[in-house]
Amino acid sequence: MGMSPAVSPRPNPPGSSAPVNAAKAKSLVHLVHNKTAPSPSLASAATTPGGPDADEGLAEEMNDKVANQFAFGPRLGEGTYATVFRGHYRDDPSKLVAIKKMKKNAEWQDGINLDSLREMKYLAELHHPYLIELIAVFTTKDENINLVLEHLPGGELQDLWQDKTIAYGGADVKAWANMLCQAVWWLHENFVLHRDIKSNNIIIAADNSLKLADFGLARTFANPEADMTYNVITRFYRPPELFLGSTHYGGCVDMWSVGCVIAEVAIREFFLPSATDLAHLGVITEVFGVPTEQDWPGLSKLRFWKEQMEGLPPKRPQPLSWWKQRMPLIGDAGIDLVRGLLTMDPSKRLSARQALDHHYWTSLPRPQRKELLPKKGGKEGEKAMGEQLKRVGGEIESGRTDKVARKLDFGAAR
Amino acid sequence: MSRVARPSGASNRKAVEDSGASNLSHSLHSMSLQHQSPSKPARAAADSSPEVCQVCKSSRYLNQHMRFLVNPECYHKMCESCVDRIFSHGPAPCPIAGCKKTLRKARFRMQTFEDLKVEREVDIRRRVAKVMNKQEVDFESLRDYNDYLETVEEITWNLILKIDVEQTERRLRAFEEAQKAELNPNAPRRVMNAGPDTSTLSDTSHVILKKGGTQRRTQTASSGNTPDPSGAEERGFSFKGLKKRKVPEPEKAFDPWGGYSVDALYYSVKDEYDHKFFAVKHEAKFYASGYKAPEYYSHALRDAFGGLGVFLNEEMADLKLNAIDVPLAVGGGRDVEMNDVF
Repeated sequence: MGMSPAVSPRPNPPGSSAPVNAAKAKSLVHLVHNKTAPSPSLASAATTPGGPDADEGLAEEMNDKVANQFAFGPRLGEGTYATVFRGHYRDDPSKLVAIKKMKKNAEWQDGINLDSLREMKYLAELHHPYLIELIAVFTTKDENINLVLEHLPGGELQDLWQDKTIAYGGADVKAWANMLCQAVWWLHENFVLHRDIKSNNIIIAADNSLKLADFGLARTFANPEADMTYNVITRFYRPPELFLGSTHYGGCVDMWSVGCVIAEVAIREFFLPSATDLAHLGVITEVFGVPTEQDWPGLSKLRFWKEQMEGLPPKRPQPLSWWKQRMPLIGDAGIDLVRGLLTMDPSKRLSARQALDHHYWTSLPRPQRKELLPKKGGKEGEKAMGEQLKRVGGEIESGRTDKVARKLDFGAAR
Repeated sequence: MSRVARPSGASNRKAVEDSGASNLSHSLHSMSLQHQSPSKPARAAADSSPEVCQVCKSSRYLNQHMRFLVNPECYHKMCESCVDRIFSHGPAPCPIAGCKKTLRKARFRMQTFEDLKVEREVDIRRRVAKVMNKQEVDFESLRDYNDYLETVEEITWNLILKIDVEQTERRLRAFEEAQKAELNPNAPRRVMNAGPDTSTLSDTSHVILKKGGTQRRTQTASSGNTPDPSGAEERGFSFKGLKKRKVPEPEKAFDPWGGYSVDALYYSVKDEYDHKFFAVKHEAKFYASGYKAPEYYSHALRDAFGGLGVFLNEEMADLKLNAIDVPLAVGGGRDVEMNDVF
């Protein structure tokens, strides 16, 4: 390993030193859980020659201690790699968790599959209000790994903007965009690339804050001598340099995705939809023009430039008026931010730090307060509740006594 | 009062129609409403049939759609056409003989309760409740709250029974002003008695033909302020055990960083390092894909020296968690060596 991304330098959460200690405590617990988590066979294989039995016993004991804290609830969903259950703490059933039970798949018979390994590795050490919290990890008898995650009842951000019954405005978009930028900034500060930011992977918590989830493709920033794969990030959110086969990228690939997410929340449809990987570069150049060596130094040296871009007829990017007409919700400052995030040349693209320094956050309107953010189902739920309240007591409106005060309410005029 | 008055209104309707009000209701009636002249109750009884307007004597028999309105100044009932006729051109005195109240058309309304005494009491209670709107949490003890409630009830009954009306009204208004001032200390407050001007003003201040609400309030408030400048009088009422209202802090400027910061405390990152990476960073595959050398520097330094910011002793002291006890206890002091699976 060697990388412990989030442990230091000291993350300085807001407020006094008390939360720092809490954070410290948490991270330590994770480390402990983390070490217990892998299947006992792994732990025992790595033990000192002195007493393998004793250590295996210890690992099992620690694992049981963690596993016994949680109780499984109903199944929430099932995918190819994992089944998700709702669970709760045994000592406090009101504290809900989501338990992600990883499936053993055929390719990874021995050991842990790479996705869950990455998820555990990064989530265990990253703590931020806008990143999903990994509470614990334990194994069950069948050597399945269970990730205990925060329970997030609000649904995905994508469902929210796709649901046209939910109305939201510029202040709401700004609040969401800020939470997303903070989450990504925290990742990059700790040298972690998410590499799969999309509105599908952003989940809304009970307190309406966004949580970045699914660290299955995450990795640390690579050293210069190491190559990274360019086949990451869902197509709609993939930056042009990855289509051109870049193997040495930085946080900028995530920032392109962030720009796409903010744009799609602002226009309530996919910003850069395309049918195939090959066609996507065409979709990008449709909006941003065909880059030249002047606006993107070194462009022609990229691996796939010859086959993808060489000889394309020159094309100018869409003018500012196109953006203003497309995204009236976020205003000029927001458009400036999105255009900064969606800059073709990755070295000119805004970094997470620069994005948080942008004047969009401080210009009007002020970002919506968390408790006032629209959430999915809230309206329908409220409507149903209203209908229900209306019928209470089997009261029938006769019309005769409707205008007569039934009750003396002296405070009503307050 | 309402408890007394309502049954008499509801169940004894026939009696009321026959012989006017019942004894009890009659005595309260004379107390609360402005029927001072002895001849009036009899006449009122004769004409008080709800079908006849006491001003124009037209009856519902002739005009089916007649509506009766009252004005909360004196609660005299009259038909809509009379109100239109008399008050359309501005405030005018009440046309009922003996009542000299100045009425305004805007305040005429349909009565909600059949019994006008109840109507009036409800109005007064509503008005008082609007001003005296403290809750139990505003007081230090239940006793103080109960004392407050008693005062409120006393004020209400004073107004209903017309005891010390002038003074009570004045104090009520002063209290309301004080409450408002407390809620919004920055609001421009009307300066009563602005020094030397008062003498010149006072000559003309009584000559006010049409008293608007604000004018009247200023007048009474200023007259109320002059005699007794003590604190209680200025604030209308002072209650024992009433907590000071906490002024909510102004909203802070939005922090896009959410209060978080990452600062390297134990090392600093230079812009350039003499490192083999120097040689490669001018390659196109780095600068064309946004790979930034400073990020690599700080990453490497973080990995190397980030641990300097961790103080195990402190963290162990803070922890007191069972999860930590396990390895220490079971390991029996021996270093539990578990290879890192990552």
